[in-house]
Amino acid sequence: MSEILDVDVLIVGGGPAGLSAAIRLGQLQAQHGGEPLSIAVLEKAREAGAHMLSGAVLDPSALRDLIPDFREKGAPLAVEVKRDRVYFLTSKSRIPFPIIPPPLRNHGNSIISLNQFVRWLAGQAEGHGIDFFTGFAGQEVLVDGQRVIGVRTGDRGIGRSGEHKPGFEPGVDIHARVTIFCDGVRGNLTKELLRRFQLGRGRQAEQFAVGLKELWEVPPDRLEPGTVMHTLGYPLRHDEFGGGFIYALREGRLSVGLVAGLDYRDPLFDPHMAFNRFKQHPFVAGLLDRGQMVRYGAKALPEGGWNTIPQPYMDGALIAGDAGGFLNSMRLKGIHLAMRTGMLAAESAFEAIRAGDTSEASLARYQRKIDASPVKAELYPVRNVHQAFGYGLFAGLAFAGLSLATRGRWVEDLHGHAGHERMETLRSYYGASPASLAASNATVVDRRLTFDKVTNVHFSGTAHDEDQPPHLLVHTEVCSSICGPEYGHPCMRFCPANVYEIVQEPAGPRLQINASNCVHCKTCDIMDPYAVITWVPPEGGGGPQYNGM
Amino acid sequence: MILVIAEQRDGALNRATWEALVAAQQLAGGDALKVALLGGQAGAAAQELAAAGVGEVLTVTDAALEPYTPDGYVLALAQLITSASPQVIALAHTYQARDFAPMLAARLTLPLVTDVTGITGSGTQATFTRPMFQGKLAAEVKPKTAGACLVTFQIGAFRADALKKGTSPSPMTNVAVTIDPSAIRQKPEAPFQEAKQAVDLSQAARIVAVGRGIKAQDQLPVAEKLAKAMGAELAASRPICDSGWLPMERQIGSSGQTVAPKLYVALGISGAIQHLVGMKGSRTIVAINKDADAPIFEVADYGIVGDLFEIVPALVAELEK
Repeated sequence: MSEILDVDVLIVGGGPAGLSAAIRLGQLQAQHGGEPLSIAVLEKAREAGAHMLSGAVLDPSALRDLIPDFREKGAPLAVEVKRDRVYFLTSKSRIPFPIIPPPLRNHGNSIISLNQFVRWLAGQAEGHGIDFFTGFAGQEVLVDGQRVIGVRTGDRGIGRSGEHKPGFEPGVDIHARVTIFCDGVRGNLTKELLRRFQLGRGRQAEQFAVGLKELWEVPPDRLEPGTVMHTLGYPLRHDEFGGGFIYALREGRLSVGLVAGLDYRDPLFDPHMAFNRFKQHPFVAGLLDRGQMVRYGAKALPEGGWNTIPQPYMDGALIAGDAGGFLNSMRLKGIHLAMRTGMLAAESAFEAIRAGDTSEASLARYQRKIDASPVKAELYPVRNVHQAFGYGLFAGLAFAGLSLATRGRWVEDLHGHAGHERMETLRSYYGASPASLAASNATVVDRRLTFDKVTNVHFSGTAHDEDQPPHLLVHTEVCSSICGPEYGHPCMRFCPANVYEIVQEPAGPRLQINASNCVHCKTCDIMDPYAVITWVPPEGGGGPQYNGM
Repeated sequence: MILVIAEQRDGALNRATWEALVAAQQLAGGDALKVALLGGQAGAAAQELAAAGVGEVLTVTDAALEPYTPDGYVLALAQLITSASPQVIALAHTYQARDFAPMLAARLTLPLVTDVTGITGSGTQATFTRPMFQGKLAAEVKPKTAGACLVTFQIGAFRADALKKGTSPSPMTNVAVTIDPSAIRQKPEAPFQEAKQAVDLSQAARIVAVGRGIKAQDQLPVAEKLAKAMGAELAASRPICDSGWLPMERQIGSSGQTVAPKLYVALGISGAIQHLVGMKGSRTIVAINKDADAPIFEVADYGIVGDLFEIVPALVAELEK
C-alpha cells in the first residue's frame, strides 16, 4: 500500500508548461484569495532544468503575459536576436535564401538556454509557495473508473533484478482534484492517457522529429552574438524532413544542432551521423574550427501540428505543452506555446475547482480557451505544412509558402502517417539485403569535430544508478527473429545515445540495452518499427545534466 | 597519552580497530597508549585487546550502550575523555565513527581530523595527511589549537600486521560512567543486511582491467592469470559488468569506480571517455588492443597493438619465470 498525499492540483513535469501552470495558479490564488489551494509539481530530474533541451529561440509573448516584469526579475534571456540567416546547403556549398521567410524572422525574440530559463522559472514558482518535488518521476496514472485521480511516483532503491536495496523507498500516490500532465514530448503518462481514454480519436497520427545539439566554444570573433542561422538541405535528402541550426550566444558560445524527422524511409539512416555530416560541411566546419564541444544532448520534438493534437482534457486531468504536441514546426518554436497552454490549463483548473466541478464537461473549458487564444491563431493556419513535407522538401516549401499566402484556408486537410510506419524494410529500400548494417550515412569520427555516440553521451552529463531495472522495456524476441532480417536493427542507429547495441554472440545476435546511457529523448519509443520499445522513467534523479543547454 | 576508541559489535572486534592502533602507536612515539571499549559488557573483544599487550584496556560497560546509539556513546565517551584527558583520541574511520565522532568533538569542543592516511611527528605536534577532492589531492593539516584532538584513520591506510605487540597482556580497568537512558534520543532498529563485501579497487596498487575484447565470459581466466601473476586486482569496463561477467563493484569508469593505481593494464578496452575518466590518473598505463586507432592508446604509456589472447599468455609465462 503506497502512502497517499492529497493536493488540489498536481502538475507532472517541471518544464516550461508545468512551471507556467504552477506560476499562473499561484497568481490566481493571490488575486482571488479564498481557501488556499495546495499545488505540487513533480520533476524527474535531480534539479530544475537538468533535463531541458532546446535550440533555443524564445518568442517572449507568453512570458510577457505571465511575468510582465520578467526583465526586472532577472529572466536569463541570454541575447536578443540581431539577424536571421537561412541557407540551403548542398554537400559543398550554401545558397542564401533571398528573403527570410516570415516564420523564421526572429526580431524581438531571444536566444536562450532553456536549462537556465527553466531554472529561473522554478525559482519564480517557488516564490508562490508551490511544492516542487525534483527527483521524482510519475510512474503510473491513477484512475478511478473514467476519472483521473492522480499519479503514482516511482519506487526508489530497487536493484537490477527487482530486489529491494537497503535504501528502498516505495513510491507515493499523489491524489489531486485536477492533474495537469506536462510530461513533455511522448510523455510516458500522457501516452498512457491517450491509449486509455482514446484521446487521439478523430485526430491525425502524431508526428515527431529528433533534435541533436551541441554547445561549442569557439574564438569569440567567429559570429556576432545574436546571429540565428537555419539551414535546409544537406545532409538530409529531399525526402527527409528537417534542418540545421546555429545560434550565436555571447563569449564565442555556439548552439549547433540538427533536427531530423522521425519519418525517414531508409532503415539504415542514422540521425547522429547526419549531425556529424552537418558539422563537416565546409560552412559549419569553418565556424567550429579550433573550437571545442562542451555539451551534447538529444530530444524528440512533436512536429505534427494542430490536426495531431489530442483532446487535451478529460475527467480530472488536462494536458499541456509538448506532451500535447503544442509546437509550431514551421517557426521551430514551442516554448511559448508550452507556457501559454500551461497558463490556460492553470486557469481552467482553477475555475473548475472554484466551481466545485472538475468533470470532463467542466474541464472542456480548456479547449475553448485554447481555441480563443494565440495558440490556435498560430497553429491552425499552418496545420498542413508538416504533412506537406511528407511529399518532399520542395513540395513542403511550396506548400508552406501557399499556407502563408492563403492563411491556411483549404478545402481538405492533408494526412500524415505515423513516422515509424514510413520506415521501409531493407529489401524494399535497397532491393536486396545490404552487406553491412553500418549506417548508410556513416562518416569519419575524428573526436574533434565529429564524435561517436558514446563520447557524445559523456558530454550530456547523463548518469543513472547502474543497479536498477532497465527502464527501456523491449520485447526482445522480435529483435533477432524479425527486426534484424527486415530492418537491420534500426534501434542501433536511431538512438542518439548508444543505448541499443547488437552484440554478436555464439548463440546469435543479442540486443544489449545500455540503459544508463539514455538521455531521455524518447526517440526509441517513437521510431521503433514494431512499436515494441516502451520508455518508462528510471529511478528519479537519473538522466542527463544539461547545464547551459 | 593517546586513547584509541575500539569498535565492537555483538562482542566481535572490528578489524579496523587494529589499524587505528598501529596509527596510534606511530603517533604515540614512546608515549603511553590506552584502548577504550564500550558496550553492554566487556566480553571477548576486551580480552582480545588485552592479549595484544599494547596498552591498558579501559572497559566502559553499561546496559544503555547496547545496542549502539550515537547519544549513548557520546555521553559515555565525553565522561571518559574528560577524566582520562588524553592528548589524542584515535579512531578508525568506520561508519560508526563517522556517526558519532563529529558530535563527540562538538560536545567537547575539540578539533576533529578525519580520514587520515599519514602522520608526521607525534603527539600534539603531529601533522596529518588526509585526502581532499575525492583523493585528487593530499592535504597536510594540523589542528589550530594546541590541546587535544580527535583523529580518525582511513581504513587500509595503516597495516594491521605492523602492530607492535607487547610481551605480556595489558591490564583491564572498568571505568564507571553514568548514562541517563532518557537522554538517548535514538531508537535503533535491527541493522540492514549489509551488502556483500565489496572489493575496494581504489586501494589496489596494480589493476588488470578487461573490456569487450575478452569476447566471452569463459575467456576471463586469461586475464585472471595475468592479474594473479602480477599480484593485481581484476577490474573491467562497463560492458563486462553489465553482462554480469564480473560484479559491478569491479567496474571502472564514470558509472563505476575511479582508480589511480601504480600500474593499470587494459586488455581489450577501446577506451571510451567514460572509462578513461575512471583510470587516467594511473601512474603507468599499459594497453593491449587489436585496434590501433582505439582511444585507449591516447592515454597509454605503453601500447601493444595485437591479439590479447596471444600476448597475455606470453606475458604470464614471462612473469612466472
